[in-house]
Amino acid sequence: MPDHSSRNKKMKLHGLLAEFKDVDSILKASRAIRDKGFKKWDTHTPFPIHGMDPAMGLKKSLIPKIVLGGGLIGGVGGLALQWWTNAVDYPWIVSGKPLFSVPANIPIVFETTVLLAAFGAVFGMFILNNLPSLYNPLFSSKNFVQGATDDKFFVYIEAQDPKFAPDRVRELLESLNPESIEEIEEEEDEWVPKLSPQMAWTLGSIVFCLVLIPPIYIARAQAKDRNSPRVQLIPDMDQQPRVNAQSASPIFIDGRGMRNYVQGTVARGGAQTDTGYYVGAVGETWVDNPLKVDMALLERGKERFDIYCALCHGFDGLGKGPIATRAANLREPNWVPPLSMTDSTVLEREDGHLFNTITNGIRNMPAYGDQISVEDRWAIVAYVRALQKSQHATLKDLPSEERERLLKEGQQ
Amino acid sequence: MADKLDSQTISLGPIGPALLKIGVIVGIIGLAAAFMGSYTTELKSERFYLSYLVNFAFYLSLSIGALFFILTQHIGRAGWSVVVRRVAEAFAANVALMFVLFGVIFIGMGEIYSWTDPDRLAHDTILQGKEPYLNTPFFLVRILIYFGVWILLTQYFLKGSVGQDSSKDPKKTEKMQMVSAPGIPITALTVTFASFDLLMSRDPHWFSTIFGVYYFAGSFLAFFSLMAIFFCVIQSKGLLKDAITVEHYHDIGKYMFGFTVFWAYIAFSQFMLIWYGNIPEETVWYIRRFEGGWETASYFLLVGHFIIPFIVLINRFVKRIPALLATIAFWILLVHWFDLYWIVMPESLKGHVGISWIDIACFIGMGGLYLAGFAFFMGDKALIPQGDPRLEESLHFKNA
Repeated sequence: MPDHSSRNKKMKLHGLLAEFKDVDSILKASRAIRDKGFKKWDTHTPFPIHGMDPAMGLKKSLIPKIVLGGGLIGGVGGLALQWWTNAVDYPWIVSGKPLFSVPANIPIVFETTVLLAAFGAVFGMFILNNLPSLYNPLFSSKNFVQGATDDKFFVYIEAQDPKFAPDRVRELLESLNPESIEEIEEEEDEWVPKLSPQMAWTLGSIVFCLVLIPPIYIARAQAKDRNSPRVQLIPDMDQQPRVNAQSASPIFIDGRGMRNYVQGTVARGGAQTDTGYYVGAVGETWVDNPLKVDMALLERGKERFDIYCALCHGFDGLGKGPIATRAANLREPNWVPPLSMTDSTVLEREDGHLFNTITNGIRNMPAYGDQISVEDRWAIVAYVRALQKSQHATLKDLPSEERERLLKEGQQ
Repeated sequence: MADKLDSQTISLGPIGPALLKIGVIVGIIGLAAAFMGSYTTELKSERFYLSYLVNFAFYLSLSIGALFFILTQHIGRAGWSVVVRRVAEAFAANVALMFVLFGVIFIGMGEIYSWTDPDRLAHDTILQGKEPYLNTPFFLVRILIYFGVWILLTQYFLKGSVGQDSSKDPKKTEKMQMVSAPGIPITALTVTFASFDLLMSRDPHWFSTIFGVYYFAGSFLAFFSLMAIFFCVIQSKGLLKDAITVEHYHDIGKYMFGFTVFWAYIAFSQFMLIWYGNIPEETVWYIRRFEGGWETASYFLLVGHFIIPFIVLINRFVKRIPALLATIAFWILLVHWFDLYWIVMPESLKGHVGISWIDIACFIGMGGLYLAGFAFFMGDKALIPQGDPRLEESLHFKNA
């Protein structure tokens, strides 16, 4: 412990510490001090003493209420979290259960309830005990530091207590037959660092050493010879028991990792006999859009087009999407600019041909068959037709009322 | 303080013989009325046997809970519970009475358990697969083993504890601790299989490995509720005034609170896994309990068996006012009884819950016999184990 007196600081009385011999005498002393009406005082014993709470006049702890509050917040919060995430913000069906399915939520609710109740107990205890507190003027008493957790019983009355008067408190304590009475001092009116220098140094060194571990580990891994196997933190993920592409499987006699279909079976969704619908052509002939073109289909087509196509072809289909523009600005040597939907080649192509282009890609354009469903691809085709109309419409494409209105406006 | 205990107030005295006589009379009248009354119902005598099984499982659970209590207190070298242990020992010894009462189930087996029906067995491949286990002779052998084990254990603890009253031998306590160690797994296994045999085999296709724990959870809870009521009543008769304090009620209340939650935990674990897995052979049992009026009963169990006792018992003051604790204990006993009714009945009563006066007559009748059995085993013995080395600790026990 640092020797305060040698530092030439002004000291003031922080409180009076009295040592007692055993449990009975400290209980008796506590009752006497309680009856005098002191508020800022405490007892320090090596073990919990039954009956100390009433002897000190302590009220029932607040902890149960904090725990209850924590539990309620945890329970309601856990339920609300699951309701919001799974049923509202990102509706997602799990195991065919309803989006908001209380039985499935109960285990989480249970866990969050227990978690926050436990937090309430632990942190509530810390706060009520004014923890963490790394320094207390009591630590300057050698007798206290050595005895309070070993075999001695202490009562400490703080000078801040409104009833505190040094002489009278000393008199009171002496009347209780203590082993000893000690004055505890603290530095006056000065911010006292709660952390003693030794503690700060020890903690600092430990934290410093811990912080060094990750960079050292990374440096070591980088400096290592490349031929040696790398460090595997999670070997189960690095070495999975699976068939790698282009490698033989030891499990089957024919050595093939990828299995063929069982003869005479068709995979689910694999019976695509209507080639006009699924491929866009019957034999050598391209087909027309097999879906009924209505507003719903066009809306769907617009949505999909804006998601998948517009980045290159542009929202208006004129081939000036952000990627195309940027590639042109950068003068990318291998960039083939996307066509405008109103380009004559696109205009003249049949529906089935456009469908085929979306499915399999063309030139730089990748194949979208795996990403966009068949129905959506036809919807995009229909929307592309609408985009073309928007640039190449003639009067006779309009409904009759609209045509008359335009003619009238033109005459004016 | 042990010396101050008045010998007048620590044994049943004249209450014992009176209880024995009245209990037997009530028992015979109640059970006879229930049996005759059942012929006015659609199911005829089956209605009586089913009601009898519900009540048999109920009163058996009280003794099972008492046995578990004795075992756990010994193995934990518990000090607080010494003063309440003798009563538990007498209630536990009542398994011998339950063994006698099993006779009626033996007679009615053909109507209670559909797996005893040879016609059904001939057409039911699942039952044929289970036949090596689910057949009448082996069933009876198992029942003999269960009750044999329980009677041996309960008699051992009752005799040992009573013997200590005069011998004051602390070695006996150590011996009983030694026996309680293997006693716990043995009792756990026998109770598990007994609940499979007596209750779960009502639907011989259905299975749930947690079922035994479910029955145990209800048993333990019901036993503590019985204790709360019992001590409240005998203290009002002037018995054990000095020995049992509010601190003991508080601890009994804590057990009731803990096992209310435990029961809900186990009940929900069983329900949720089956509900989530959604496999027809498992869900069928719950579907029966969620249609035809039984869904109300299921939700009632959730509220009555968990939410209400939870909210009431979480309060400290409830556990420290004996009359209040006994009131909620009475409620818990009623819902525990209904829990067993809910387990036994839906296989036969489809489309309605249908609690009738037959069930109540049976409940009161068997209750009379059960209390008579308690009075028989209690006799003139002291209501607290006077020779237990931890008696002083228990008398002065205080909750921190």
